[in-house]
Amino acid sequence: MKEKSILTVPLLSPSWKKVAFLFFPLPVILVIGMAVVQMEIDPNQGAEIIYGFWAIGFAMLNLTKEKDEDEMIKSFRLQAFQTGSYWMIWGLGAIMLINYYRFENISSEMFSAYLVLFLLNGYIYGAFQYQKYMASKDIK
Amino acid sequence: MKNIIKVERAKLSMTQQDLADLISVSRQTINSIEAGKYVPSTVLALKIARVFNVSMELIFELEEGD
Repeated sequence: MKEKSILTVPLLSPSWKKVAFLFFPLPVILVIGMAVVQMEIDPNQGAEIIYGFWAIGFAMLNLTKEKDEDEMIKSFRLQAFQTGSYWMIWGLGAIMLINYYRFENISSEMFSAYLVLFLLNGYIYGAFQYQKYMASKDIK
Repeated sequence: MKNIIKVERAKLSMTQQDLADLISVSRQTINSIEAGKYVPSTVLALKIARVFNVSMELIFELEEGD
């Protein structure tokens, strides 16, 4: 089936990887900086800033082309998004269960959109890297 | 799915990189196909067969359980 343009996912050029990696140390420095200048921020807010930046970093990495973006890499990326979603569903389920046993409350403030986006993108990235590692293992 | 890409390459003294360049994929992809870790699409399988000037069925063979 020819891909419909509405379903096309545009990918960033490989040089964007460098920008994406900046999003990992940046929020940590930002939160430490905010603590140093004694800006009164809630500890949860600090965590949300970090989750948000890391989610953007992982999302950019997931949507950046590889050097050789061939059909194997494309199939790895598709699988990674599927596996990442699967891991997130079960991971969140596990966290909810732990949360319920600890606080006797199934819904909690700890489930923010930033946390979910960070976990989802992190899992997708993990699944993608794992497939690349398995493909390059025992390379002859 | 089994394949005899390695044998066909050897006949033409072709490296994995040579084949990869001819069909516009990475060497890693050729290695994965040869090792049976990755099953190529029909388009890619046809491209590989065309390089060796043989039919696709001669290069790729279904295994028990496929």
